[in-house]
Amino acid sequence: MIKVDEVSKSIGGKPVIHDVSFHIAQGEVVGLLGPNGAGKTTMIRLMNDVITPDHGMIHIDGQRATVHGNTIRQLSGVVTESAGLYPELTARENLNFFARLYGVKQPQRRIDQLLMEFELKEHEDKLIGKYSTGMKKRLAIAKALLHEPKLLFLDEPTNGLDPDGIRDMIGYLRKLNEEQGTTILICSHVLHQLEDVCSSYLFIDQGRLIEKGTLEELERKYAGKIVIHVKTGLRAGSSELSGYQVREAGEQLLEFHLQDEQAISDLLRLMLRISWVHEVQIMNRSLESIYFEVRRRCHEL
Amino acid sequence: MNYNKIIAIADKDMKMTRKTGKVWISLILLPLILGVLIPAAIVSIGRWADILALGNGRIMLLLEHLSIPDKISMPTVNHRFVYFMTQYMLVPIFMLIPVINAMMIAVNSFVGEKERRTLESLLFAPIEIKDLFIGKLLASFIPAYASTLASFLVGGIIMNVLAYPMFGSIIFPSLNWFILLFWVIPVFTISAILFSVLVSARSKGFQEAQQIAGVIVLPIVGLLVGQSTGVVLMSPLVLLVLGGALMGLNLVLLVLIAKLNQRGLLFERQIQ
Repeated sequence: MIKVDEVSKSIGGKPVIHDVSFHIAQGEVVGLLGPNGAGKTTMIRLMNDVITPDHGMIHIDGQRATVHGNTIRQLSGVVTESAGLYPELTARENLNFFARLYGVKQPQRRIDQLLMEFELKEHEDKLIGKYSTGMKKRLAIAKALLHEPKLLFLDEPTNGLDPDGIRDMIGYLRKLNEEQGTTILICSHVLHQLEDVCSSYLFIDQGRLIEKGTLEELERKYAGKIVIHVKTGLRAGSSELSGYQVREAGEQLLEFHLQDEQAISDLLRLMLRISWVHEVQIMNRSLESIYFEVRRRCHEL
Repeated sequence: MNYNKIIAIADKDMKMTRKTGKVWISLILLPLILGVLIPAAIVSIGRWADILALGNGRIMLLLEHLSIPDKISMPTVNHRFVYFMTQYMLVPIFMLIPVINAMMIAVNSFVGEKERRTLESLLFAPIEIKDLFIGKLLASFIPAYASTLASFLVGGIIMNVLAYPMFGSIIFPSLNWFILLFWVIPVFTISAILFSVLVSARSKGFQEAQQIAGVIVLPIVGLLVGQSTGVVLMSPLVLLVLGGALMGLNLVLLVLIAKLNQRGLLFERQIQ
């Protein structure tokens, strides 16, 4: 669906993307991760031919971006960091306008459907200038979905949403991907939200793609030993407990360093024979811990 | 060209104009003052005031040098004054209406997209930049020209009603005014819009763009001085040539704007 080959881009003489290559298959949900200024938004702009690369090629759905920009933009939905809505117009007026730009068939039916879906129906005649940040973000996503795009680019889609809003948004994206096979590329800082929806990840730093893969692949490469915290009645008398590396991490809390996931069951069986265990938590298998490890190793090079 | 998208842009922009106080007020006030109140006041002065006492006799001197068509009866200096003002002096004043309004709307439209951060949404949409420009040009031209036509109609009726007892015939509009309304004003309005587009592309904010784009009214000030001193008096030929010169200016402006007709360039100029 998305094929980016050796793309570089400078803006105002300053290089912002260096030799980036990646492929995204149809129906994938991919997280594009990186700190502020890493080049995530620039990548979205390049893929939509809003700006043109200095070097390299981008193909979206088999179409070369620099040649078939409008075809690509017609099949893409984009949510930018700023909602990109007209504050002087109402929600319905905004959606009507963009529906005309995207040539939506039966626009009123589709607008009604999206306003209902994003719980904005009762606010449809309110000016956007009077909307809360969360409402604007929901409407921006509704706008991006107006023409039922095959491909969705989301730049910080959960910014400004409350916890309920974030949960609903992630749930909606997952449903959209499962039911309609929409390919989704999400840029976000809030990494734990992405774990529930993304099938793979691209890590970008200072305009360079520094890593890519599924969570399992990244875990194998970066997580190394598994670190777990166990809430238990056992005490760590020394640095080892029945051959497992251990230390006290708090009151009734032990930290173990294990070779692999199988060792978790073996350890727990052993502990339960001697004392109680109330809680077990893997500390270094989250996307967030992998993200920091990827960046740490990248900066060491 | 995609007409549906052009109309969608123009329609949206005109809706925004209706909702933008400063632009909307200008669309009402300017035609009312320049196209109705000032002409009505001038004809009233011509009808009831002592013209000989005005301007230390300089107006008299100017009026004596005017070439007045034979078919119009000019028994008094007041007749000559009304004729001079309605046929010559009001022309540049009237031209200010569409030019200032078109400039205001165009600046608001282009800089407004940048300030609201909505231009990026448009650039992400499947619309040609050329269609985007045409849509915005229409959205600036239609209200500016419509308000000019309306003030022409209302102002014309009031002037004729006031002047009819003096002349015994309708004095407005003359051939000059028809050439002005259907040739010079449309072309000049487009010049104002194109110039505003160029200025907006290089300005950081609405006020800066408005101040720079305001330069477009300078030729009108020149015309006003030309009329009041009698150096260049409006004739059908002068107006036809003026329209032609403005058309040439429009072509130059279009060439300059065509350089902005690239999504990437427009993006980097406007958003980065």
